[in-house]
Amino acid sequence: MNTSRIAFNNLKKNFSFYTLYLCSVSFVITIFFTFTSFSMNEIILQKISTDGRVELMCHSISIFLMVFVIFYMFYSNRFFLRRRTKELGIYTLLGYRKFTVLFLLTIENIIICGGAFVIGLIFGAVLHKGIIYGIIDLLKLSIDGSSIPLFNVNAITKTAVFILFVVLVLTISNGKFLIQTSLMDMVRFDKSAEKKMNFRKFPAFMGLFMIALGYVIAIDILRGPKSLWIKVGFSPIGMLTMILVVLGTFLFITSFLPYVMQISKKNKKAFYTEDKIITTPNFIYRIRSNSRTLIMLTLLSAATLTISNVMSLTLYYPIAAVSRIAPSELEFRIEDASQVDKVKKLIQQYTSKEDNVSYIQTDLYKVTSKGKQLPIEYGIGTAKGDADNEKLLRKKGFECMSFNNYKALLQAQGREGAIKQLSRLRDNEAILVKYQPNSDATNEVGKVYPLIVHNNTISLTVKNTTLNNPISFANSVGTLIVKDDVYDVIKSSNLPKTSILSINGTGIKNNEDLYHKIDKLLKGSPYLQGHSHRINDLFWTNSSTFLLIGFLVVLFFIATGSILYFNNVSAISDSKEDYEILRKMGYTDNIIRKIIRKQVATFFCVPFLLGLLDSLFATLVYKVGLMQNLLGNSFAQYVPVVISLSITAGIYLLYYFLTIHTCSKNVLGK
Amino acid sequence: MKTVLDVKEVTKTYPKAESPSLNKVSFCMSAGEFIGIMGASGSGKTTLLNVLSTIDTPTSGDILINGIHLKDLNDSKAADFRRDNLGFIFQEYFLLDSLTILENISVPLTIMKYSPQRIESMVRSLAERFGIATQLDKYPTELSGGQRQRASAARAIVKQPSILFADEPTGALDSNSATELLKTLKEVNEDLHTTILMVTHDAYAASFANRILIFKDGCILKELIKSDSRHNFYESIVEEISKLDTQRRQQNEH
Repeated sequence: MNTSRIAFNNLKKNFSFYTLYLCSVSFVITIFFTFTSFSMNEIILQKISTDGRVELMCHSISIFLMVFVIFYMFYSNRFFLRRRTKELGIYTLLGYRKFTVLFLLTIENIIICGGAFVIGLIFGAVLHKGIIYGIIDLLKLSIDGSSIPLFNVNAITKTAVFILFVVLVLTISNGKFLIQTSLMDMVRFDKSAEKKMNFRKFPAFMGLFMIALGYVIAIDILRGPKSLWIKVGFSPIGMLTMILVVLGTFLFITSFLPYVMQISKKNKKAFYTEDKIITTPNFIYRIRSNSRTLIMLTLLSAATLTISNVMSLTLYYPIAAVSRIAPSELEFRIEDASQVDKVKKLIQQYTSKEDNVSYIQTDLYKVTSKGKQLPIEYGIGTAKGDADNEKLLRKKGFECMSFNNYKALLQAQGREGAIKQLSRLRDNEAILVKYQPNSDATNEVGKVYPLIVHNNTISLTVKNTTLNNPISFANSVGTLIVKDDVYDVIKSSNLPKTSILSINGTGIKNNEDLYHKIDKLLKGSPYLQGHSHRINDLFWTNSSTFLLIGFLVVLFFIATGSILYFNNVSAISDSKEDYEILRKMGYTDNIIRKIIRKQVATFFCVPFLLGLLDSLFATLVYKVGLMQNLLGNSFAQYVPVVISLSITAGIYLLYYFLTIHTCSKNVLGK
Repeated sequence: MKTVLDVKEVTKTYPKAESPSLNKVSFCMSAGEFIGIMGASGSGKTTLLNVLSTIDTPTSGDILINGIHLKDLNDSKAADFRRDNLGFIFQEYFLLDSLTILENISVPLTIMKYSPQRIESMVRSLAERFGIATQLDKYPTELSGGQRQRASAARAIVKQPSILFADEPTGALDSNSATELLKTLKEVNEDLHTTILMVTHDAYAASFANRILIFKDGCILKELIKSDSRHNFYESIVEEISKLDTQRRQQNEH
């Protein structure tokens, strides 16, 4: 029998075991090919990229993807090689040269990668086409989807060359392994027992301490300006936290977990049960050989979850913040009285009476104050560097609005929750609209601001602060809501006035055409703000980033899940004889299934839970330290994070059940 | 003496096999007996052990252990039955490598839900008898073959099974370790009245039993009963085996 025949027969013989490997590699190649087709699709890129940002991202992510695919294939290949070392040793004993064995392994890899390539091309092409149609629909691009070919020849070539490169890497890796492993080691490979563990208290608790310290430093960011992150600097503290968590994770997995398990054996009542007496020692026994994999998976999980959390937060945050940046469907500063009628006429062309379009004009009066401790909003945006839109510098002062006007605007914007929170104001009270919550968690409630109104002073006490601004920040910052009587006094004092027209109603929602006509009418005024327009704009800008990061995250989960799957299936299959003994001793199939579930669950939980914790603290640091806080603690901004974590948990669960199914089938034969 | 095992006309035929692996085998075993099963490869020894231990089911016939018909047991009842009544020793020890010797021997008692104190005291006293008391905290890979097999025997005996099945227990041991183990099994048989059914191809190991059933082509060919010293019993086993070998050689020559 020639070498190619042996390779083919090997794959055929171990078909069930190799099937998942082939599936996972095909999946990985599908994602790679889809991504490559997307990044090489000039028609789409021309439409969605205006500043070369998408191309740059494609390029960076492409490198990440390649590294990931090589890492995954390298790991899987090593895994299968370990399982087959004895078999390869027997070939060598029978007279096969190591070069011939290497040739055999290479042929097998070519068959698997070739199969995965074909499957990946078919599914990848279909997936790519689906994504293209999705983007065209989402961004309303003027492209005929059917004009984009199903198969991109350049993408096929790039994928084929990349796969050949992967096969080359695997061949070199296999060659190195065969050269470094003596015949004796190969034949006796599966006889080598795990080394006995030393249970040392110091490294065990050091691991726990380092992780905890890393988390405490992360939480320290909540102290605002007093935190180490601000006092010492973001980079050194970030680096210190990362080193603590990485080293802590290493010690936690290699020392703390086995130590705790060993200690748990002292609770004899809990230990001497039919499942624990098997699962606890098994965990300790396996942790040494699997600790490197677990550490790697934990850190990868942490990194990927953090990336997906941060990306979803960064990309979704502006969308969630639109309720503050542009609270009305349309809003503009009236710079010329005739603008109002012209805009109304324009809107009438697009709406009917049933659309209930409301027009509310707000006159804001700029009032200065002599107070010593004025809120940050009083002066925000008055100098370069402290506002989002530096082209629109404002003068210092409070911008006063009447309570009834405020309420009417909230009503028109449909913010019933905010209206419910309102309570009547007294003459000397006001509500301060915050730009964002103070970083030191203080607020201005109870503070008294003496307003200078026509050579007189009106002292107002802040009754409440709110994040429910009724006017966009382009048109008002430092808004102070005062009682109508007080407003009338201010109004009669000849103070600088700004008039804003807020337009709301279902009939004008999502109408880009109308927005552009108003924009043209107002000659591109920077004071024109549109709620739907802003959201559409953000979708346009960010959807490609979402998609590209999505490729990376999906690929990672496939790789992690598959590694956990192979690892567990292999460990359980290697212990098949042990389970057979347990059955002979009287263990029922149900208890054996329970033992398998527990063993697999431990190995799935460690990387997922530790990675999840790491990512939550890292996301917290990012959110508090590096992001604006326009939304305060509103839950809405975290929705994508929750979704991304749920998807991750779902994928892990899917792999967990698949692993349990395969392991139970292997052990119990049903 | 109470009958522990009653095998009645048991036949086992595997699909696609030309002849049955067991052909109408019948014998009884009393409490406290030590029976050796001998025979050449393919004579049906392992099949017999599998059907007696509820791992496999016979094609026909009936097996009763402590008056219970094995054919009436479904999967989970069979598991409970093995837990409560049977012990096993294997040629390859089959200790669980991830468990210490103490934990290995404790496993059968944990399924029987004994208290931790009782488990530890039973394990320690048996370990003394088997000469492995100082090895209890070690892992199987740290022990010699003989010590491992003694641990395996202790694990089988600790729950005081109705029958202890030993499948070539000395097959992987050197002669000293094998003798040590067999002496211990004999002691257990005599002192604790443990009923032992041992499959072996070794006449020396078989001489420790009280009765030998020699199998050929799935049938009991001969029954030897120990009447006086172990040495004489050994001689008679060797004589019987060489007769069989001669017969086989003659058959092959024809």
